[in-house]
Amino acid sequence: MPRPLFNAAIAFFVFSALCLAAMAGVTPQPKAPADKPPESSNASILRVNSTNQAYDFFRPWTKKAPYSRRGLGTLIEGGRILVTAELIANSTFIELEKAATAEKSSATVERVDYESNLAVLRPTDPAFIAGMKPMALDRGVRVGDRATVLQLEPNGEIAQTLGTVTSIAVGPYPLDNMGLLLFRLSAPMQQRDGSFTLPAVRDGKLLGLLMRYDARSQTADLISSPVIEHFLSEAGKETYGGFARAGLAFATTRDPQLRRYIGLTEPGGVYVTDVMTGGPGGKAGLREGDVLLAVDGKAIDQDGNYEDAEYGRIAFSHVTNTLTHPGDTVTFRVFREGKSLEVPVKMESRDRSKIVSESYVVDRAPRYVVLGGVVFMELSRPYLQEWGGDWPKEAPQRLVFYDAFQNELPEDRGKIVFISQILPSPDTIGYEGLDNLVVSKVNGQEIRSLDDLAEAAKHPVNGFQKIELEEDPGVIFLDAAAIESNKDKLIKKYSLPALQRL
Amino acid sequence: MFRIFIAVFFATGVLQASPVARSLVRIEATSQEPDYKAPWNPGEVSGGVGAGFIISGNRIMTNAHVVSNARFLTVSKEGDPKPRPARVLFIAHDCDLALLTVDDPAFFKETAALDLGGIPAIESVVSVYGYPIGGNRLSVTQGIVSRIDFQTYSHSGMDSHLTIQIDAAINHGNSGGPVMQGGKVVGVAFQGYSGDVAQNVGYMIPTPVIRRFLKDVEDGHYDRYVDLALSYQTLFNPAARKALGLQDDDLGVLVGSVYGGGSSDGIVKAGDVLTAIDGHPISSDATIPMDDDSVPLAEVVERKFKGEVVTLDVVRDGKPGKLKIPLSDPWPFNLHSNVYDEDPRFVVFGGLIFQPADQNFMTAHQPDDLRLRYMFDFFIEDKIYKDRPEIVVLSGILADPVNVYANDFRYAVVDEINGTKIKRLADVAAEFAKPADYYVIKMAGAGRPIVLERKAVEEARKRILSRYAVTREQNP
Repeated sequence: MPRPLFNAAIAFFVFSALCLAAMAGVTPQPKAPADKPPESSNASILRVNSTNQAYDFFRPWTKKAPYSRRGLGTLIEGGRILVTAELIANSTFIELEKAATAEKSSATVERVDYESNLAVLRPTDPAFIAGMKPMALDRGVRVGDRATVLQLEPNGEIAQTLGTVTSIAVGPYPLDNMGLLLFRLSAPMQQRDGSFTLPAVRDGKLLGLLMRYDARSQTADLISSPVIEHFLSEAGKETYGGFARAGLAFATTRDPQLRRYIGLTEPGGVYVTDVMTGGPGGKAGLREGDVLLAVDGKAIDQDGNYEDAEYGRIAFSHVTNTLTHPGDTVTFRVFREGKSLEVPVKMESRDRSKIVSESYVVDRAPRYVVLGGVVFMELSRPYLQEWGGDWPKEAPQRLVFYDAFQNELPEDRGKIVFISQILPSPDTIGYEGLDNLVVSKVNGQEIRSLDDLAEAAKHPVNGFQKIELEEDPGVIFLDAAAIESNKDKLIKKYSLPALQRL
Repeated sequence: MFRIFIAVFFATGVLQASPVARSLVRIEATSQEPDYKAPWNPGEVSGGVGAGFIISGNRIMTNAHVVSNARFLTVSKEGDPKPRPARVLFIAHDCDLALLTVDDPAFFKETAALDLGGIPAIESVVSVYGYPIGGNRLSVTQGIVSRIDFQTYSHSGMDSHLTIQIDAAINHGNSGGPVMQGGKVVGVAFQGYSGDVAQNVGYMIPTPVIRRFLKDVEDGHYDRYVDLALSYQTLFNPAARKALGLQDDDLGVLVGSVYGGGSSDGIVKAGDVLTAIDGHPISSDATIPMDDDSVPLAEVVERKFKGEVVTLDVVRDGKPGKLKIPLSDPWPFNLHSNVYDEDPRFVVFGGLIFQPADQNFMTAHQPDDLRLRYMFDFFIEDKIYKDRPEIVVLSGILADPVNVYANDFRYAVVDEINGTKIKRLADVAAEFAKPADYYVIKMAGAGRPIVLERKAVEEARKRILSRYAVTREQNP
């Protein structure tokens, strides 16, 4: 059973991830009678209009058409503005706009984290936010509490929607599917212009940022204040550490037959099903088949939850991912072969450079190399997602499987370099139909990245570039001298800005 | 509309006296499709109509797909309303042909056996006989030969053989009927396209394929087609030709993969260039000259039988040489073929259903599970068959207290039971037959094991069998 590491056994909520921008129906909304936020709310909210432009992974040398996203930013201490990362992903220009006066100024991204979907912006002109008041974080929210989601009317007035916190649980965040604490709010929201990021407040304090809304069930998922707090604390550091992961996958131990078989007499515990090579859990000596009984003295139940002092029964990954910072140590109590032992695990965030196929590639261009009309790329999920919503079935299957089972590859496998397409030219006669073929060697050199490929291509064998493939046709050859002399023609004909971007 | 009706009526009237009418039979088949979702069930019964024609030796030729999974067959002659029971003599699913006979010798009185002709010329006119879209009376349509090429035979879904495309419509009920030219059979009508895909495109099985089938069964047994079990690519690229030490003569194809367990395994190597097959020079587009035409090089192998040898001229590392390949069955390719006339194999234990994933299974279940799809799709290419001649899947769960926690594992591939690697379905049955306190089932990939206690399984056994009307716990 392929499962994402670590968050495997959490019972993820199933909901349609409709963001506000997709909501239908624009109706004026009566102002909420109660819980009117104090004046300071208005003084902390700015419109944030971001122009974003993503790369085209089918033509990695080009960008797609730009689009704009509008949301609300919240001024926080330090003269910074907090937004969701999705709002400013692949941004080319960020504009701040004062709600009341429609004054505009620009901003830059100071820190962004796509795992927790958070970003802080800094106004280009510090004077622009003069007179505004930073908002503090509200960490005291409990299930059943009321909170207000803020939106802006076209005239700059604040519109408030009152809702109730219906659940607090660990759930998937959009870009990396990482499980972090979510507040779920039941609130009858209306579609308004610029609703990509919305603050949810209580008594003038920020308790979360709305990141998705399901119009049918009228529920909003908020990035929770503990996650924001963790992000801001890391963002304040010289080196941003991000969110740590233990690098484990686990399953519940609800099945009494399983419990009896492994001799587990204690009431709780989760069964470790996979340990990521090189991850913190693996380095600490955790193994498949271990049962995690407790983390930092907090008992883990059969479903992987612990009793949190603030939020009740939530997944223990909240302790390891959010309450713990990279570099900190958590101690697991582990049941292994009839014995109980303590295993300290030094938590680390993921080294993204070691990921075989990244789940997101934002704010940077996809890498490519063109050799005589043969286009080479490194596998990433955004490439597969170019096939549309049903990409797991529509995209080239071998690449889909490489992406899905990347954790099972040898540790030194490196990137999956593949021929994405052929730009037909006199040098590629007979190769026209080739695409999505994984490269194993070039000129006898093993290929674990595009850098390897670019280096190997400098050393043709007997005047030929010999490209070996993992599948049919097995091997193709290019005339090294011919592709060198046809280079300029190829660039001109296909309007390539460059033959490679590394 | 009216004019077409008249034309057909007229043609039928003329044909009453023609020899084809005395050779044509209408086949009614009652078949039972196996149920891969409840594999112990006998499956749904359905009926169909096809055509056939009488050949020498009191035999009736038709398509395999007309009589596949048949439980009861009747044939009736044109103009003789009495249906008579028939039986299958030989059936070849890989080339969609079958031979039937009628045990009552009286049936063949007054009939005429048809002779086989050759390959009709492009643009020449042929006539198609059969019972399109049901009907009791013979129908004939005419068309011309449009193209002669290799095509996938959709009955097995995997095999490709020489096929003739004609522009006469071929519909349900035409299947198995003769395509005639000059009083001889030049093909068996067998497949076409639905009207929204392509118009006026019908396909017939040409006589080289029919003759091969008839020769194959002379020994009383049908062996499958043989195959080189390798892949090759065209060699147009000048740089590739130079790098491989070839001349600029447009000859030769490059071997991409050699499939393990196949005829060429251990003899041909990936990277070899094939320049001739049994003396026929191979063009760089993978064709050879044969019978005054150019045909795919595989045609040489197509006409051979199990145990025969094919000779390949190769260039390996720039040096020419000759290789002799004794031809054999193309296992493990058969995994991707549709299977007929076989009951689904399965094991039920503790309410868990285990089945081998073959093409029929995948078609019936359409599983989304990525690992299962990977193993199935890349069974040959990635040599999955080496460790796992069968991909055994937990295909279903008959919900019961004994297995309530197994639900997450539907369509997972079984890797081990009690420490024993599961290579085929028989291993599953063997492990469950051994006495043990716990049956620990590990799936491929990460995940917890499924644990079943023997006592609990025994307690649940009768309850599950009766509640879910499971009549058999395993097959075989």
